[in-house]
Amino acid sequence: MSHFDRTLAYMSSLQQAETAAAVCERLLDVTSQFGLTALMAGTVPQAGTPIGKQKDHVLLCDWPVEWLERYVSRNYVDHDPVVSRMKQLQAPFQWRDAAGEIRIDRGGQAVMGDAGEFKLKDGLAFPLVTLDGQVVMVSMGGEQVDLSGLEFGMISLVATYAVGRAMQLLIAPERTIEHVDLTPRERECLKWAAVGKSEWEISQILGISEHTSEKHLLNAKFKLGAVNRVQAVAEAIRRGYI
Amino acid sequence: MLYALTTEELMQRPDLWEAVHRLRHRIFVEEMGWEDLHRTDGLEIDQFDHDEAVHHIVIRNGELAGYQRMLPTTRPHLLTEVLTDLYVGVPPSGPNVWELTRYAVATGFRDGRRNVSTVGSELIAGFVEWGLPRGVNQVIIEFEPMWVLRALQLHFLARPLGYQRTYGRQQVVATLLTFNESTLEVVRSRRAHHAPVLSRGFPEILGQRQAS
Repeated sequence: MSHFDRTLAYMSSLQQAETAAAVCERLLDVTSQFGLTALMAGTVPQAGTPIGKQKDHVLLCDWPVEWLERYVSRNYVDHDPVVSRMKQLQAPFQWRDAAGEIRIDRGGQAVMGDAGEFKLKDGLAFPLVTLDGQVVMVSMGGEQVDLSGLEFGMISLVATYAVGRAMQLLIAPERTIEHVDLTPRERECLKWAAVGKSEWEISQILGISEHTSEKHLLNAKFKLGAVNRVQAVAEAIRRGYI
Repeated sequence: MLYALTTEELMQRPDLWEAVHRLRHRIFVEEMGWEDLHRTDGLEIDQFDHDEAVHHIVIRNGELAGYQRMLPTTRPHLLTEVLTDLYVGVPPSGPNVWELTRYAVATGFRDGRRNVSTVGSELIAGFVEWGLPRGVNQVIIEFEPMWVLRALQLHFLARPLGYQRTYGRQQVVATLLTFNESTLEVVRSRRAHHAPVLSRGFPEILGQRQAS
């Protein structure tokens, strides 16, 4: 079996996994051949997310438990150089390169040093972006990581399929965020409403009639499922549409 | 709305033809830096704009907002002629397999750096809707690995055709996407827009903005 056919076989086994734990296990079966024995994938918590909430962001996890506890309780996510590099939406990279390139603050040194204590000496990490624009960070590590360029690409691609499968398994209907189709005009009106302009003022700014600006705002409110304009603006901001 | 035009139909509309090739030049040469495609007239055209190519065109407010080109795999296409290091073994081909190239959303119609804009998702809904009644259920796309996740979220069956490579600053992987009616349902519900996007006939002359 060629190297590439093996990769395809890994992927199809991942796509048949029925639980997140099975996805995790099958991915680690592949990656452990290259020294990657621990895995973490999840959406990015905003800086300052309460500690109790951070675990809700996890999609796939097979990480030393004590390390995870320490990571969360000491709020390492805000200091981790690997995380900050992923936030810049970089292509796949190795942990050691993140630690070398960006100036690490004292917190960052503590994170990398502590990771080593848990036999996570090096690893690879990369960000993915979902349909809704959410960033998913994928990080895999181990004690002795040994990857050629081709293997590096292969592992990151297999991991992408693993995250995709995990997301398919996770999305129960109520968790799906429906994308709302706002027109450019509706969005423009919402932007001006968000800075406190009245319908009349918006109509003057955009050179349309007051009735039209009112209509755009009503449509936007309806599409966003909001009960009033304040909620429509809040919802549009929360979803990142304006 | 999305219009599917043959090269011949596109050439009957000089305004559209020029807008299409100018948009392609602006995005693929000026923005993404594919210098091989550079042309002094600012119109990107290649050997695959042949009589069997189908051009998908999204118009918003009288402007060209999005574009993609569909190529039959029953004759030479990008993967077999240009991007030959992106596949291993024999690439899939046949009347049910088309190659999607030059996917482009005009700058003014993007939704931030991360989101798939409504024009972008209309192009996706468009090729599925266009393909199904024609017996086309697979497309080959050479895209950034990031898109694999989005394709899986939209319930495409995705399979890489080779290793990912780095072209300039970009990572690219050739992927075969398989779809059916239920993929179309998922794409539509993610867009919260269930009406068909594919429109018959020709768009209005460009630049004629509809009153808002």
